[in-house]
Amino acid sequence: MTQPLKPFGYFEPTTIEEAAQILSKYGTKAKVLAGGIDLVARMRRRLIQPQYVVSILNIPGLDYIQSDEAGLRFGALTAIRSIEFSPIIERDYAVLHEAASQIASVQVKTMGTAVGNLCVATPASDIASALYALAARLRITGSASEKIIPIEDFFVGVNKSVLEPGEIVTEVILPSPTLQTGGAFFKLVRTAADIAKVNVAVSLTVTDNRCGEARIALGSVAPTVIRATHAEEALKGSTLEPKVVEQAAQLAAQEAKPIADLRSTVEYRRGMVRVLVRRAVEKALTRARA
Amino acid sequence: MKQLIQLTVNGELHEVRVEPWKTLLEVIRDDIGLTSPKEACSTGECSACTVLLNGKPVNSCLVLAVEAQSKDILTIEGLSQGSKLHPLQDAFIRHGAIQCGFCTPGMLLSAKALLDENPQPTEEEIREAISGNLCRCTGYNKIVEAILEVAQSQ
Ligand SMILES: Cc1cc2nc3c(=O)[nH]c(=O)nc-3n(C[C@H](O)[C@H](O)[C@H](O)COP(=O)(O)OP(=O)(O)OC[C@H]3O[C@@H](n4cnc5c(N)ncnc54)[C@H](O)[C@@H]3O)c2cc1C
Ligand code: FES
Ligand code: FES
Repeated sequence: MTQPLKPFGYFEPTTIEEAAQILSKYGTKAKVLAGGIDLVARMRRRLIQPQYVVSILNIPGLDYIQSDEAGLRFGALTAIRSIEFSPIIERDYAVLHEAASQIASVQVKTMGTAVGNLCVATPASDIASALYALAARLRITGSASEKIIPIEDFFVGVNKSVLEPGEIVTEVILPSPTLQTGGAFFKLVRTAADIAKVNVAVSLTVTDNRCGEARIALGSVAPTVIRATHAEEALKGSTLEPKVVEQAAQLAAQEAKPIADLRSTVEYRRGMVRVLVRRAVEKALTRARA
Repeated sequence: MKQLIQLTVNGELHEVRVEPWKTLLEVIRDDIGLTSPKEACSTGECSACTVLLNGKPVNSCLVLAVEAQSKDILTIEGLSQGSKLHPLQDAFIRHGAIQCGFCTPGMLLSAKALLDENPQPTEEEIREAISGNLCRCTGYNKIVEAILEVAQSQ
């Protein structure tokens, strides 16, 4: 059941410093508002009840996608829809493009930011899986400090991240793609607008027909998105023949630690991890060789 | 606690005093008096509350009214020119794309936003554009046919 929002104190800071100060002053009583898709819905479901809401929407300079030799960066207010339609992301970071494209609906992607999606810290996040595969780093800004951490260090558990009161994720940083990197994203859903039963994001480099780097991320099968490191090891250094790919897919299925819920059973999720990892590696490979 | 905000709704400037915890949907329906955006799920799942904010479709149940300060809002009441229906409205009627009508305002606005951005969409692009708008009555095919017809006649 949802209900009208309960009263809260509302702030519209115009700089990150000001936002961080308000957030650290009120600690756990305050929440950041970006697109509001998750925050407002959770408040209406009475799952959280912040006394203060700090909108970052009026802070200029947080909505961008920029690329240079070092890689690509986007900001805290970059909408999922902007990521979906970025030609550079479509060309160089296909995994992220595919993850954004498969999120329904247009409305959610227009308001919803990619960073907000990460900050919800759900293991079903398609954006998080894609960013694991791409070795993304997050810039976290507090009132007195700033740090950059790998995305894998950001998530602690279901709806839990390392963010301390007063900290804001201000930027996502992606390394530059090497020429022979291929990536692919697959997810299994009941209907287009539902969240994933399982999602898989893969990124590979191939040199002289051998696999160099391999990153395989699995979503919705553990309390956070995870990497299938045994599967990655099986691929690295190999010539990626079908037998090896199948072996990696089976290893990934063993690494998954899914739960049974209304969307799927444990067995089904594991089975689908195997299928999707195989397909994603095959597609990434085709792209890396293209 | 009330804040004075300006909203341009269907081309008309409104000044309203709102509490920050009021949603855009509540303000459009209760303060401005336009009841075409509907509230059903209140959580972003159904899009019956769709309005166009600066030309883009959003779920007004999840937008705070204060966020829409100085922005342009379009509801279905602003789509027709007097008694002359918008081509999409006309096509929806002729194709039987409306049954109970609850989803229709949101559906039409999603379709309008699509055609504004991409005047010649494929059937697949149309289905993607309305994927967030749930309809319990029509089975979607007639809606897709209506939008396709307008796209092809443009
Ligand atoms: C119908 C529907 C379908 C969806 N389908 C999918 C799907 O298929 N795949 C998928 O991955 N997601 C899906 N989502 C989730 C959606 O993508 C996220 O809820 C949305 O992107 C959140 O972003 P936001 O900007 O609206 O965040 P908000 O709701 O504004 O914020 C979310 C949380 O993050 C915090 N926060 C936001 N920004 C920052 C920041 N910069 N620094 C620190 N904290 C911050 C907020 O305090 C809040 O706790 C779906 C949602 C809906 C409603
Ligand atoms: S009422 Fe807003 S999305 Fe359902
Ligand atoms: S016509 Fe009844 S919900 Fe669509």
